[in-house]
Amino acid sequence: MSEVRPVLLIVDDEVRILTALRRVLRSERYEILTAETPAEALRLLDERRVDLILSDHKMPGMSGLELLARASSKQPSAGRILITGWTEEVPPEELAAVGVRALLPKPWDNEDLKATLRAALASDAALRLG
Amino acid sequence: MGASALTHTSLVVRILVALPTLREAGGDLFGIVPALRCLGPEARIEVVASAASCLARVQQGDVDLVVVDARLGVECGSLLEALRATPTPGVVVLSDAGDRQALEAHRQGAADCVVAGDALAETLPGVALEQIRRVRAAREQGATEQRLQRLERLNDAIVQTIPAALAVLDVHQRLLVVNPEFARSFGIGAQAAVGRRLDELLPPDLLESGSVREILAQAGAGETSPARVGHTLVAGGGVRAFDLRATRLDEDGRLLLVLSDVSERESLARRIAELQLYNENIIQNMNSALLVVDEAGAITFANPTAERILGARSLPGRRIWDWFPTTPREKVLIARTLARGARFRGAETVITLSDGRLVPIGISCAPLASADGRGLAAVAIFQDLSEIKGLQRQAFQSEKLVSIGQLAAGVAHEINNPVGFIHANLLQMAEYLTDLRRLWECTLSLQEAVRGGDPETIRTASKGLDRLAEEIDASFVVSDFAKAVRESQEGTERIRHIVQDLRDFSRDDTGEPMLADLNECLDSTANIVWTLMKHQVVLKRDYQELPRLRCYPMQLQQVFMNLLMNAYQAIAERVGQSGEMGEIRLSTRRRGEGIVVEVSDTGAGIPPETLGRIFDPFFTTKEVGVGTGLGLSTSFGIVQRHGGTIHVRSELGEGSSFEVFLPLEREEQRVAEGSA
Repeated sequence: MSEVRPVLLIVDDEVRILTALRRVLRSERYEILTAETPAEALRLLDERRVDLILSDHKMPGMSGLELLARASSKQPSAGRILITGWTEEVPPEELAAVGVRALLPKPWDNEDLKATLRAALASDAALRLG
Repeated sequence: MGASALTHTSLVVRILVALPTLREAGGDLFGIVPALRCLGPEARIEVVASAASCLARVQQGDVDLVVVDARLGVECGSLLEALRATPTPGVVVLSDAGDRQALEAHRQGAADCVVAGDALAETLPGVALEQIRRVRAAREQGATEQRLQRLERLNDAIVQTIPAALAVLDVHQRLLVVNPEFARSFGIGAQAAVGRRLDELLPPDLLESGSVREILAQAGAGETSPARVGHTLVAGGGVRAFDLRATRLDEDGRLLLVLSDVSERESLARRIAELQLYNENIIQNMNSALLVVDEAGAITFANPTAERILGARSLPGRRIWDWFPTTPREKVLIARTLARGARFRGAETVITLSDGRLVPIGISCAPLASADGRGLAAVAIFQDLSEIKGLQRQAFQSEKLVSIGQLAAGVAHEINNPVGFIHANLLQMAEYLTDLRRLWECTLSLQEAVRGGDPETIRTASKGLDRLAEEIDASFVVSDFAKAVRESQEGTERIRHIVQDLRDFSRDDTGEPMLADLNECLDSTANIVWTLMKHQVVLKRDYQELPRLRCYPMQLQQVFMNLLMNAYQAIAERVGQSGEMGEIRLSTRRRGEGIVVEVSDTGAGIPPETLGRIFDPFFTTKEVGVGTGLGLSTSFGIVQRHGGTIHVRSELGEGSSFEVFLPLEREEQRVAEGSA
C-alpha cells in the first residue's frame, strides 16, 4: 500500500537552493512543493494541505517571517521553520509570536536539516494526536 | 654840531612850530623856523597857527618836539599844560630874557626856554636836539620794558601750561620754584615744595632709575647730558616713565630740571614693539609659507616655512620662476597677480624643487602695492599639501572600508546562497558517491562471475546489480550527480564574481589617471551594491553613449558607490519593512564639455536645514557605525579633484537627486596635482 507522505512546502527566491533542498530530502519520503516567491507560496497554501513549511527569511516583497505568519492563519496546523543567513537577525520574540518551531542556518548541515524536519513533524503529530 | 649828530644818526625828526597868525603878530618874527633848519634836512618842520591844531597834530603820535612862540600868550600856557600829559616836550621861545617870563613858562610845563634874538640860530638847535634825545631815550626804555613784560607773560604761560614738570633748583638742590605740573605730578603744593630738597620730593626709584644726581651734576658743571628716562611704580599698579633733562640757568649755579611724563609714549612704543614681535612671531612660526614677490618676480621677503617648503635658504633676491621650470611664466599663478592684480584663494599647484622633487602646494595670492607705490608686488601664502594629500588618501581609503563594511552584509547574504546549496550538494554528492561505489562493487562481482563462466552465479550477480540499481535509483543518481556538479560549479562561479567585484572596488588607485568609460564604472558599482538593496529597490538605468574620460576610475566608483548607498539608505528609511519598493534611477549623458552622471532616488529626501551641510566632513545623520560622515565630503573632494561639481536637489518625502558633472578637459594644474 502506498504510504501517506507528509507534504513539505519549501520557499526560497534562490532556485538553486530549492533544487539542493529537494536533492537532499529525496531520501526522506516527503512530498515536496516549492515556491520561488512568498506570493506563490501563499497561492499553494490555498490549494494544498501542507504539513510543514520551510522558508527562507530574506526575500523580495515579503520576509519569510511574514510569510509564515500569514501561512499560520491559512493553515494553523502546518509546522513552520525558517532558514536564515547569519547576517540577518530575527528577534526570538518575533519567532515565538509567529510560532516558528525551528531556525535553520544557511548554509545548513544536511543531517541537521533532516533531523529538524523530522522532529518538527513528530511534535506536530504529537500535538495533533494530543 | 647838533646838526651833524642828527645827520650821523640819519634820523628823521618831526618838529612842530606853533606861531601866532601872521595877521595878528606878523608870523615868525623870531626866526624860529630858519633857526631849526640848521638841524639839517632830517629835521622835518611843520608850522601850526594855534594851540588847538598843534595839540591835534601831536596826538597823531609822531611828533618829537613842539617849539612854541611865547607871543601866543594865554594859548601858549594852555598848550604847554596840555603837552605835559604827552611824551612830547615843549620848548618856549621867549621874547626877552626876563626871569619872570622864563619861570612862568617852566611852571606851565615847558621842557626848556630859549630867548629870541640874534643868537637864536645858535641856541635853539642845541636845545631842540637835547630834548629830542631825551624823548627818544624815554621812548626806547618804554619799549624795552614792554618787551620784557611780554616775555615774562609768555614765560609764565609756558611754565604754567607746559605738560612737563619744571623745577628751578639752587646749588644745594633745593627747590626755588616749581610749576603746577610738577606739583600735580608729585602730589605736593607748589608753595609747599619751595625750599625742600629735590630728593625729599621725588620717588626714590625715579631718582635712581633716572640717574637724577648724575644729570644735575653734569648740568651744574655746564655740560649737556643726554636725556635719561626714569621709571617709578604707581600705587595702583603700573609704571610711570619720565624723560629727565637739566640745564644750568646762571652763574649762581641755579638749575632747571624738566621732567616730561612719557608713560603713554612708552606704553605705545611697548605696544607697538609687542605687536611687531607678535606679527613677527606669527610670520616666523606659522606653518604656512609667506612670500612677498616684487613686480619682476624676485622674492623680497620669505619666512622660515617658505624656506623649508621651497627647500632653499636666503630666498630674497631669487626669482620664483625657479620653482616652476616647466610652466610658462604667464601661467604661474603669482605672475597673474603681478600682471593684473588677480587674487587667488586656496588654488592648488605643484612646485619643482632644485633636486627635482615635486611638491603639491595650496596657494593664496593677493596684490600688494610696492613700497615706492609703483607697479604691483604680490604676497603669497602657501602650504605643503603632501601630508594633507596623504591624509586625504587615508580618509578616502577608510571611508571606502566603511562602505565595504556595509557591503559585507549584503555580500555575505549573496555568498551564503551559493555556499548553502554548494555545501548541501557536496554532502549529497558524497552520498551519491557511496551509492555509486556500492553499484561499482556489484558490477565488479558480476564481472568476476562472467569471468568464472558459471551461468547461475552470473544470473545471481546480475539480479543483485539490477536490484541495487533500482534501490539506489542509479539512473537518477547519475544524472542528478551531474546536475549537482554543474549547479555547484555555477555557484562557485557566482562567488568568484562577487569576490572579484569586491577586490576591484577595494583597490587603491592614486597613480596615473586613465581613460575610462563612466557607464562601465557606474554599472559595475551598481552591480556590487545591487546585491544589498535588491529586496527594496528597483534599479533603472538610462545610459547614453559617452566619450571616455581621463580620470581615476576607482575614485569615481567610490563616488558612485556613496551616492548609491545614500540613495538606498534613503529608500530603506522610507519604505522600511513594508514590502514596498523604492526606485533608484541612474542616468548618464553628455552636457557641454563634460559628462553628467545622475543618481536619483524615491527615498525619504533631505530636510532643507541639513541640505547645506551634507558635503561637510563628518556630518552624518546616520546612526553610529552606519557611516563615518565622510561619504559625501569624500565624494565632493574626489569630484573637485576631477575639476567637476556635485549638485543636489531634494524634496522631503519625495526623494533626492545627486548630479555629478565631470569636465572632459581639465586645467593643467589639477591634473598635475593629482599625480603628485
